[in-house]
Amino acid sequence: MEDRLKRQRRGWLVSYLWSAPSLALIALIVVFPILYTFFISLTNMNVYHWFDYTVIGLDNYVRALFVFDSGFLSALINTVLWTVVNMAIQLVLAFVLASLLNIRKLRLRKLYKTLLMFPWAMPGYVSILLWKTGMFNSEFGLLNQWMEALGLEARRWLSTDVSAFICCTVVNIWLALPFMLMIMDGAMQSIDRSYYESAVLDGANWLQRSWSITIPCIRPIIAPAVIITVFTTFKQFDVIYLLTQQMGAKTGSGLHTILTYAYENAFITNNYGYSSAISIIIFLLLLAFSARWQPGGEGEK
Amino acid sequence: MRGRRLREGAGLALLNVFFIALCFVTLIPILYALSVSLNGQNSLLSSDFSFIPKDFTLDNYLAVFTGEDILTWFGNSILLAAATVAVSLAAAVPAAYCFSRRSFPGRRLVLRWLVLLNSFPAILSMFAVYRLLRPMGLTNHRLGLIIVYTGTMAVFSLWNMKGYFDTVPVEIEEAARMDGATDLQVVTRIVLPLAKPSVVVTALMVLIYVWNEYIYATTFMTGEANYTLAAGLYSLQATEMSGSWPVFAAASITVSLPVLVIFFLSQKHMSSGLTAGGVKG
Repeated sequence: MEDRLKRQRRGWLVSYLWSAPSLALIALIVVFPILYTFFISLTNMNVYHWFDYTVIGLDNYVRALFVFDSGFLSALINTVLWTVVNMAIQLVLAFVLASLLNIRKLRLRKLYKTLLMFPWAMPGYVSILLWKTGMFNSEFGLLNQWMEALGLEARRWLSTDVSAFICCTVVNIWLALPFMLMIMDGAMQSIDRSYYESAVLDGANWLQRSWSITIPCIRPIIAPAVIITVFTTFKQFDVIYLLTQQMGAKTGSGLHTILTYAYENAFITNNYGYSSAISIIIFLLLLAFSARWQPGGEGEK
Repeated sequence: MRGRRLREGAGLALLNVFFIALCFVTLIPILYALSVSLNGQNSLLSSDFSFIPKDFTLDNYLAVFTGEDILTWFGNSILLAAATVAVSLAAAVPAAYCFSRRSFPGRRLVLRWLVLLNSFPAILSMFAVYRLLRPMGLTNHRLGLIIVYTGTMAVFSLWNMKGYFDTVPVEIEEAARMDGATDLQVVTRIVLPLAKPSVVVTALMVLIYVWNEYIYATTFMTGEANYTLAAGLYSLQATEMSGSWPVFAAASITVSLPVLVIFFLSQKHMSSGLTAGGVKG
């Protein structure tokens, strides 16, 4: 009996030793900075108070949550709008395209799929920079060349909030659609063909078949991927930052999502305490969401 | 009957036209960059633009490869990527194995927290990391970036491989143990070969992450000699974009090529190696 207990203890020790390097890395580089961020959020640390900061309690949180002019709340509203718009467009487009790709007699399906994967395969930041210079740039961007060819006036595409929002959405859809398309396509291929055959015999049209066969069948399969995409869309930083607000090269739009807002306050306007408070609020929001939604929570087996 | 077949054929042709157009529209930003990068400087602003370069030249690529900076950046990227992948795997493989196979107090709790931590965007604690690394002299040092990158990818690596180990049947290991294999032998001879797709995919994801990461690299490093390819490319477009858009396009294509090759070669593994873990990078 005692022997068994001893062996079990030894087994635990081995497990801890083997996991130690990885867990130590996570503790030091992920967890500790989060705790430290929380500490900074309680201080008035900024570029003038780099060393002689004082603890000011929850003032930064009050400023973020209850002073509308501070910009956090509008960034949050923007982010929610951004997530909803992007997800809706993405899901509809991916669904329609995947349905079309699954029409049985389409021979070149594989070729189309490979070509449509390119935006996913390219390094994201490179694509965004190429969009910025190649498409939206006011001098040699393709959009303005086309505008001129059509006899229209050239525009500065990224200079106002609304048009920047649209441009960012276009680029984000371009980047994210291939993943969603692949997931939907895979899910649709797993549906039993015979359902459709009997539905066709019953005279159901495409919409009816989609509504009562395709969507119910793929829903459980694509759910985890959709939830993950909602999170990545909500946390999108690269698209907005690189297109409109690179350090020293702002395009004039004041469009912010919560992440670019936190970054700007930390590294551009140097309100470290305030920015850290924003970070903690976002972290708590994400924790609340993921505790509820995030898949992969160890299927309790 | 014939009418129906004709209609079907027309529909199919229409569908093909639609997909060809869609693929073309999707690829426009890439094709345009490719065409600009192969074009001579002077034809850039001409209004009668076409996707086939009129003044074909490799000068822009030559400029990329002879530009001293870019080779330095390339070296930095390789060094950082290799070091990060090595440290990440060395730390994550044994831990992932333990969390998948062995039971010990605290396992559940740690796993639960790892899922939550995985949703935390690293950018949010970037300032805290900066402030912690600076007194140690690590902010303008490649070692600092290696530390940050390994830490950022540690949760993903552990979780992703743990997920895959879960799908490898235990019976094989038990049989090996019956034959007197030690823990280490079981892991190196049996588990690792079986888990190869997941290890490879994890390594690739870490590699691609380091290769594409620009925000830490530009915020923590000053001085172009320390830049990675991503940071360098970023600075190239930010500082002298107007003068060198063709060179920038050539550099973009060059930097993307290895990632494209890795992506399309590993696409099959990607879906199995990633979905089993249940996390997207």
